Amino acid sequence: MTGTSDTPPALKRLAGKRALVTGGRQGIGRGIVEAFLREGARVVTCGRGARPDLPEECDWHTIDVADTAQVDGLARDIGALDILVNNAGVQVEKTVAESTDADWDLVMGVNARGVFNCCRAILPRMREGGSIINIGSISGHTADPGMALYNASKAFVHGLTRSIAVDHGPRVRCNAICPGWIETGMLDAGFDLATDPAAARKDAVARHPVRRFGQPADIAGMAVWLASDESGFASGQFFTIDGGMTAASPLQPGLF
Amino acid sequence: MTNRIEGKTAFVTGGAGGIGWAICKRFAAEGARVICADITAPGDFPPENVEHRSYDVTDEDAARSAFARLGAEWESLDILVNAAGIEIEKTIEDTTLEEWRRSFAVNVDGMFLASKYALPLLRKSAGASVINFGSYDGFIADPGLAAYCATKGAVHALTRAMACDHGPEGIRVNAVCPGYVDTPMLQSFFTGEGSGGGGKSIEDLQQAVRDVHPTRTYGTPDDIANLVLWLASDEARYASGQLWVMDGGLSAQVQQMRL
Repeated sequence: MTGTSDTPPALKRLAGKRALVTGGRQGIGRGIVEAFLREGARVVTCGRGARPDLPEECDWHTIDVADTAQVDGLARDIGALDILVNNAGVQVEKTVAESTDADWDLVMGVNARGVFNCCRAILPRMREGGSIINIGSISGHTADPGMALYNASKAFVHGLTRSIAVDHGPRVRCNAICPGWIETGMLDAGFDLATDPAAARKDAVARHPVRRFGQPADIAGMAVWLASDESGFASGQFFTIDGGMTAASPLQPGLF
Repeated sequence: MTNRIEGKTAFVTGGAGGIGWAICKRFAAEGARVICADITAPGDFPPENVEHRSYDVTDEDAARSAFARLGAEWESLDILVNAAGIEIEKTIEDTTLEEWRRSFAVNVDGMFLASKYALPLLRKSAGASVINFGSYDGFIADPGLAAYCATKGAVHALTRAMACDHGPEGIRVNAVCPGYVDTPMLQSFFTGEGSGGGGKSIEDLQQAVRDVHPTRTYGTPDDIANLVLWLASDEARYASGQLWVMDGGLSAQVQQMRL
């Protein structure tokens, strides 16, 4: 059952729940915000910069999740929550040898410290039965070439996910979604690095058993489930949504 | 020769095959007495301390009598390597039930039977090590290898089960999970129906495959024998129940764009 604007309020899967989704301006975060609204949740989102063009009923807070004081302020402002989605993330396409201190501060600041900041500030304010959903990555398990800090930051997210599930259950559940290649600005940025972006895109699609890249809505569908009471026994786990890509060997002679 | 398994006794199924034969030779060079158990004889003349015995891993009577004979000769067995395996290069649609059963008979039943009948001799060892052949294909799939992938998943689970059940008896059990290793099986894969190949020559295909590996090469049987030797030796006395991937870093990467 998927909620639409016509679904009676009582049948919406997140009816009566309050959610914070970080980084809801665009991409996966935006897809989750829209899906949560459709399913009857009250949704707050945040990010750096001015309020984007969001549905009217969605609140926006201009903050940087890497900044502890700003996150604490946000947590005080919004009060009790049922759902926290740590989606805000950045990537820098460099190896360890190329990465600067500023790259470290940016990537680990948002992707690692940001997730920690939000969990620490929101956890005491979460209602019984709350659900924390972290956006990890397939790159937290196996390495994307030239993405050293990003890969490491996502492994941090995976480790923190297990810790929160262990330490803060049964009051709160915590899981991670590990997206594969989702059609977002981040994916375009990756392809821009190729000698022939169009050919690289074609090659990459062929590596997906479903023969397409993901859409933010594909991730949002899992986020709705993890946020809903239907997933009440799921905690401390990683849910990979990648169109079957990581089920296949990276070496596929048929493609060469 | 460093005698890392000096005086130990070893039984290697599939011992005449690409990887199995490298293991037999390495074991002998490190001081072990080795039975190379295989339905075919090795292509090379066996070195001293390696004896070929005809052995069909799918035949329960053969397992029973092979280990009964070994018990009379050696009293105990220190190392069992379950290396016998076959690969059917097909999707499930093209795989016949007979081929499916044959894959499981060699790759899984064979491991079960040799391990089952070796157990009494392994228990008599001062520290036994069983090394099963899994595959990185037991974790992620190569296209057109459905039955093979499924048998290797079974091997991985059986390895953990055996380690769990027989660890208290002083028997360690591990699986070695090779990626692409230069054997007749690999060459058959390159020329097989499952590989596609995109119209390229075998040489170009081989180079393309090398280039996908972080090590820019595929493995040799000796690379795998090195790990098997370590797992067989007393240095590995705390290693059990694990699945040891040896693939030149292939599966450490996600699918990546090229071009």
